[in-house]
Amino acid sequence: MLSIESLKAKIDDKEILKGLNLNINPGEVHAIMGPNGSGKSTLSNILSGKKGYEVNGSVTFEGQNLLELETEERAHKGIFLAFQYPLEIPGVNTNTFLKTSINAIKKARGEKELDAIEFLKLIKQKSLELKFDEKILSRQLNVGFSGGEKKKNEILQMSILNPKLSILDETDSGLDIDALRIVSEGVNSLRNKENSFLIITHYQRLLDYIKPDFVHVLKNGQIIKSGDYELAKELEKVGYEDFN
Amino acid sequence: MENNIKLNFENYLNEKNFSSSQKEIKEDNFDNFIKNGFPNKRIEDWKFSDLKQIIATNFDNIDFSKKEKQSNIDENLTVDLEHNKIVFIDGIISKIDFSYENEEKVVVEQNSNLEKELSENSLLNLNTAFVSDYTKILVKSGYQLKKPLILFNFLSNDLNNIGLNARLDIDLEDDASLNVINISNENLNNNFLNFRQKINIGKNSILKNYNLDINENSNFKYSFKDINLEKNSHLEYFILSKGSKFLKHDINCSLNREYGSVVLNGIIDLNEKKHHEIKTKINHNEENCKSYQLIKSTLNDNSKGVYQGKIYVNSKAQKTDGYQLSRALLLNDKVEFNAKPELEIYADDVKCSHGSTSGNVDEDSIFYLMSRGLSYEQSKKLLTNGFLNEVIEKITNDEVKLLVKKLMGINE
Repeated sequence: MLSIESLKAKIDDKEILKGLNLNINPGEVHAIMGPNGSGKSTLSNILSGKKGYEVNGSVTFEGQNLLELETEERAHKGIFLAFQYPLEIPGVNTNTFLKTSINAIKKARGEKELDAIEFLKLIKQKSLELKFDEKILSRQLNVGFSGGEKKKNEILQMSILNPKLSILDETDSGLDIDALRIVSEGVNSLRNKENSFLIITHYQRLLDYIKPDFVHVLKNGQIIKSGDYELAKELEKVGYEDFN
Repeated sequence: MENNIKLNFENYLNEKNFSSSQKEIKEDNFDNFIKNGFPNKRIEDWKFSDLKQIIATNFDNIDFSKKEKQSNIDENLTVDLEHNKIVFIDGIISKIDFSYENEEKVVVEQNSNLEKELSENSLLNLNTAFVSDYTKILVKSGYQLKKPLILFNFLSNDLNNIGLNARLDIDLEDDASLNVINISNENLNNNFLNFRQKINIGKNSILKNYNLDINENSNFKYSFKDINLEKNSHLEYFILSKGSKFLKHDINCSLNREYGSVVLNGIIDLNEKKHHEIKTKINHNEENCKSYQLIKSTLNDNSKGVYQGKIYVNSKAQKTDGYQLSRALLLNDKVEFNAKPELEIYADDVKCSHGSTSGNVDEDSIFYLMSRGLSYEQSKKLLTNGFLNEVIEKITNDEVKLLVKKLMGINE
């Protein structure tokens, strides 16, 4: 599904990714763990098309050169980034935003757009599944949301858009245990044979809730080791500094 | 141009049979206008909108002769809410409809006697010189109108290079309430429109005034409003400044008795080469009054926006609460925005603040929205609508709020 080969990325002449390789097949959950500054967020930004990086190497998504696509085209193809810091958008009603988003994607795929009733039905169902208070959806997008509410809102968006590849950028940061559980349950409910996940995190904690198929250690812009869930446990014991 | 205007004025005086005192008032005002001409940028109030220059660039001549013929008018402007209405065509009343109201309590009359005055503002001189019949709306004591009043302003399609002066007075006696929506459907020719309103809001009365300049038109407009508030009265004032080629809203609002309050919110949303200004002066003349102003601007293409806002606090006006904020989004590097927020305070126990910011749309927010499948343009539109929506949300009449959202293409 996703294949990254010798990916290098620079920003302001500073090399952040230094030849990263990664393959994700349909249905797989991959976790990338790494210390601050190892390039985790850069990777998620590049996969979702954020501007400002000088990028080399190849990234293909379902056989297509991903690096040629605009951010919104990647979303249309089924890539979703759950932001580490979801942005507050004043004056924009969350429901309006969600409807615009899902219909933009449906339109790009040549599918029929949802009308108001179909949309509300979908929202109701998804909010219920994720134990998400619907009232929050009539508020301005992320404005005045608590950290937990913002992250839950990201997961709700993910659930509504039903992406093929979801990238979760430190979704666990700033979450209390209860919110962490709800967010993880949300992710787990979306797991199936087709959908893949790339989970980026500092801590093993999140991986206790969302069991990954593969764990990779990112250090200094490269994946230095890959393994299964046991690798995460080992990391937690040893720490990033001494891990080689 | 000056000679033509003089000729227009002579003909006008000859046509109308004014009393000698009225004639004198008009002549004095006209002389003042001729002496000072259209205001230019050397006048502080006009430093960001040099009307003299703008008129010179856009008009070879302006014809101020009276137009009696009304023809070829687009009146198909429908507004989707129940309302009373007064329709003005080329500044002259053509229809009055207060069928929702007790007609004894709302009086609309034509007046031709002007009070003696000689303003320093040459456009007010011009207005006084050329206005003969003006309209006065009186809401009697204790009456609250059931439905909003829409003031429609239409211009004949064939008017071109015309100068039009009009005046309207609104008088709310005590304990009265009125919602007024000003909406215009003007033409795509170059005309100069000089509107003046005098508004009095009586004790315990409430006026909500929504000014919607939404329809695309090529007119150059000056709108001056002089608003006086009595004890415990309230004014809600909203401006949507969008459709005209040039528009300056000039508001002079005086809180003359205790516990008066003003909420003044405005949007300047421009494209092409439009140039709009909102200038406000809020005079706190007595104790315990409040004023609140929020102006938001979004500027596209080569447009120019201006906000000049002054809060004046008289030495008597202790416990004044005054607030003023201007925020502008500059959507490319060819636009211009000027803000001049001012406080002039002579009392010591007051709470006043002002602020002004301008900047670009936040690229990180755009990235966030694009990552959810929206195009760049869609994201930008959503962000700017959201930015302006904060002002629209302050409209307290829900029907008007919905109408404005619809007119702005903001869907819920």
